Amino acid sequence: MDQSVTKLSEPPWVWPRAAYVHVPFCAHHCGYCDFAVVAGRDDQIGPYLDALRAELSTLGRPEPVRTLFIGGGTPSHLRGRHLQRLLRMVREALPLEADDGQPEFSVEANPDDIDDQTVSILADYGVSRVSLGVQSFQPHLLRVLERRHDPAQVPRAVERLRRHIREVSLDLIFGVPGQTPADWADDLRRAIALPIDHVSTYGLTYEKGTRLWKERARGRLIPLSEEAELQLYEQAIDTLEAAGLEQYEISNFARPGHRSRHNQTYWANEAYFGFGLGAARYVRFRRERNTRSLSLYLRTCLAGGSPTVEAEELVPDERAKETLAVQLRRVQGIDRQRFREQTGFDLDDLAGPAIARAVELGLLEDRGEVVRLTRRGRCVADAVITTLL
Amino acid sequence: MDTQRIRNFSIIAHIDHGKSTLSDQFLLKTGAISPREFRAQVLDAMDLERERGITIRMHPVTIYYEHAGERYELNLIDTPGHVDFHYEVSRSLAACEGAILLVDAFQGVQAQTVANAFAAMEHDLTIVPVLNKIDLPTARPDDVIAEMQQALGIDPSTVLRASGKTGAGVDDVLRAIIQRIPPPSGDPEAPLKALVYNSHFDTYKGVVVYVRIMDGRLTLGQRIRLMRGQTEHEVIEIGQFRPAPTSVRMLSAGQVGYFMAQIKTLGDVHIGDTVTDAARPTATALPGYKEPKPMVFSGLYPVNNQDFEALREALAKLRLNDASFTYQPENSEGLGFGFRCGFLGMLHREIIQQRLERDSGLELVQTAPNVTYEILTRKGEILTIDNPQKVPDAGQIEEFREPVVRISFLIPAENIGDMMKICSDRRGTFIRTEYLSPTRAMLVYEMPLAEVIYDLYDKLKSVTHGYGTMDYEMIGYRPADLVRLDILVHGKRVDALSTIVHRAFAEKRGRKLVKKLRGEIDRHLFEIAIQAAIGSRVIARETIAPIRKNVTAKCYGGDITRKRKLWAKQAAGKKRMKQVGQVEIPQEAFLAVLETDND
Repeated sequence: MDQSVTKLSEPPWVWPRAAYVHVPFCAHHCGYCDFAVVAGRDDQIGPYLDALRAELSTLGRPEPVRTLFIGGGTPSHLRGRHLQRLLRMVREALPLEADDGQPEFSVEANPDDIDDQTVSILADYGVSRVSLGVQSFQPHLLRVLERRHDPAQVPRAVERLRRHIREVSLDLIFGVPGQTPADWADDLRRAIALPIDHVSTYGLTYEKGTRLWKERARGRLIPLSEEAELQLYEQAIDTLEAAGLEQYEISNFARPGHRSRHNQTYWANEAYFGFGLGAARYVRFRRERNTRSLSLYLRTCLAGGSPTVEAEELVPDERAKETLAVQLRRVQGIDRQRFREQTGFDLDDLAGPAIARAVELGLLEDRGEVVRLTRRGRCVADAVITTLL
Repeated sequence: MDTQRIRNFSIIAHIDHGKSTLSDQFLLKTGAISPREFRAQVLDAMDLERERGITIRMHPVTIYYEHAGERYELNLIDTPGHVDFHYEVSRSLAACEGAILLVDAFQGVQAQTVANAFAAMEHDLTIVPVLNKIDLPTARPDDVIAEMQQALGIDPSTVLRASGKTGAGVDDVLRAIIQRIPPPSGDPEAPLKALVYNSHFDTYKGVVVYVRIMDGRLTLGQRIRLMRGQTEHEVIEIGQFRPAPTSVRMLSAGQVGYFMAQIKTLGDVHIGDTVTDAARPTATALPGYKEPKPMVFSGLYPVNNQDFEALREALAKLRLNDASFTYQPENSEGLGFGFRCGFLGMLHREIIQQRLERDSGLELVQTAPNVTYEILTRKGEILTIDNPQKVPDAGQIEEFREPVVRISFLIPAENIGDMMKICSDRRGTFIRTEYLSPTRAMLVYEMPLAEVIYDLYDKLKSVTHGYGTMDYEMIGYRPADLVRLDILVHGKRVDALSTIVHRAFAEKRGRKLVKKLRGEIDRHLFEIAIQAAIGSRVIARETIAPIRKNVTAKCYGGDITRKRKLWAKQAAGKKRMKQVGQVEIPQEAFLAVLETDND
């Protein structure tokens, strides 16, 4: 019997239909970023692709998936032959397979990397969606974030992409020190004026160890107040929804039919593969993460070893709670019936009284089949989730 | 042992005046320990005591000293120095004929020096006054001797000078013990009569009873009777602390030591009880001791309700070695099942809690302490109130009475004004001022005990830069205009936060308390009102605004594990708090009542 048929008969929360590939290289390490990033070591791109090929080959045989996501770092930092080599090896190891819709193949890119050559390579290898790291259109905020592109490059990049790529998404950051509601209104207005179908808006997080974290700790950087952040978040929801971009997750908005299928895998708490530096995977209920050390990654992969450094397997009860927590991030919320199928637990056995309490407070909405956060609940999602665990 | 060659004595001193160091010098000079073993504070065996520098439990020590060609047995019975343990002092004194009154040559006479010296005089003990720490460059022996004369009527020519640190003058003190303190007067041939002045529970040996033999002899294998409970036991081991427990065959009149007689529980041994021979009993028992009365009460609750039984066991175990604290089950709407515990004072309370947490590993919530009140009802009954919950409706109260103490402060004269202000803020009634010297004065007030237990000691230490000391004694119950101040959190009365206060101070205290609580309770997903109320009248209110934004921006593949751990940690944090209605209240909040005066 064909092995892949057996695996694909397993439900999507057990065996992956999605794969993530990490490209750590960047021109510069931005002050807010705590991803696995390598800046100023372009000499390591060749060896990295060798190591990634070695890691992909541990699959043994091509593993069909429905969505692919190449993130970073900055995948678009790879030029010409390096970019071609990356896309080719990923498609060979992880062939895209159509199911009910078109397969989705996303790549993250920086606006200043988007030239005609890069766009045509992406299109040649079947990339269907590009997620553009715009973050802001305001030069003074881009400086705080240490982003180096010129806001004027963004419309040109979107236009170039749209000639060959089906979907373009913009990433925006709000809650940057010094940001005013007028700054944010301008960002949102300029974003929705572009021919795009998807926007992600991320509240700035101070991640431990980043430059921004240290500056804040030293008092050199004053974070926005909770009220100010709330105002910006609500402003984003109002503006984007008015422009036809529906909120479908805490930080994500899309026109109908343009939601990121790959990312929805995460919020359903379904399985996914992960390859590359620092990449995480969730296969048959086992969560694993690769090393974030480039030298260790290169050494182990090239020697035929496993770059995995962390692994855990949750007991069913904890897994169900985790599913509850991540699924609540979706605007559609949790479907009781599907939750039972996926986790084996009844939602109300896990958190019935706490759900009722949150409904009373106007933070959750219980529509019988479905439990979901209200708009107010979305603003305090973490605090609500904590009461349910 | 010939009673003429025995001396039994205590050392009474203010805390930190060098009692333990002097005791160690005695051990060193008499060869009971080697110089190598001469580590500081040999006698303070318990960790907590060592940490705090306070002797809590009595440790008798027997030493031998050669004087004028004769070998003398000296029994040192240690006493605690802190005001909370007053009653333990009188226990020790009853087993002695004399006491060394030890005074720091720099710090001079302090409040506990006075209190303990008077206690010794009341017991008719011979007092050997000793000035300690004379090696200090800052020592002011002449001034201090003048203070001793002024405050205690000590004859300056009888004061010895010593240094526990260098050993200077220690031999003079040992000689004075022999020359000045009378030998015990008991008759070794009379029927056995021994005073039980302490006991402790040993996991392996059962109850160890500390005794002073008044008359007769205690021998191995003897059948003895504990007179109060009329229980009989066979003596299986006798010993003295030299300072290590050392077995002996016999203790006779005048001697001090311990015995074991297969007594299973401390409940069978009453401090102050008389031990006699079962076959040839003494006709009259010793007068014994007054039972110690707990003065301060507070509720003790396990953070996790399922730990209730474990807490009960831990309390029972602790009480084996400390009969001075009491506990009984109580139930709080807010905190669930716990115990109302009575303590001798605030220090005692703190030590008990620490010991419980250390020994049992239980996480505890302690409610604000209160004193015992009396209420005369309209029906003419007198109710004893050890818990604010038990205060009846105002309509039933004819008279609300509170315990009042006479409190003495020994302070630098320049701080008199500040201290008087503190006392009048705490409803104190001025009695008198007395100058011990141009720079040191004794200030005497009558004051409600409730005002003393909160933070008076800290205030005293702070205005006098550590140089002031205090001591107090109960003088009785007096009527006062008292009310119960309730705290409502999110509309629900938190019974464990109720306090009894004077009406004139209720509003101020209520305002401070709700403000303090606002700082202790985390924001929730809803607005929380914190109110202070007397009966149904709200006198103060604060509001805790709800959380408005709290959401992780990104949650992709690599983030899920990290986020889950974060959520789980936050959820676990909530579980460590006390859930009162819909509000999670941290342990610190229950102590907020204590700190409202620290502006």
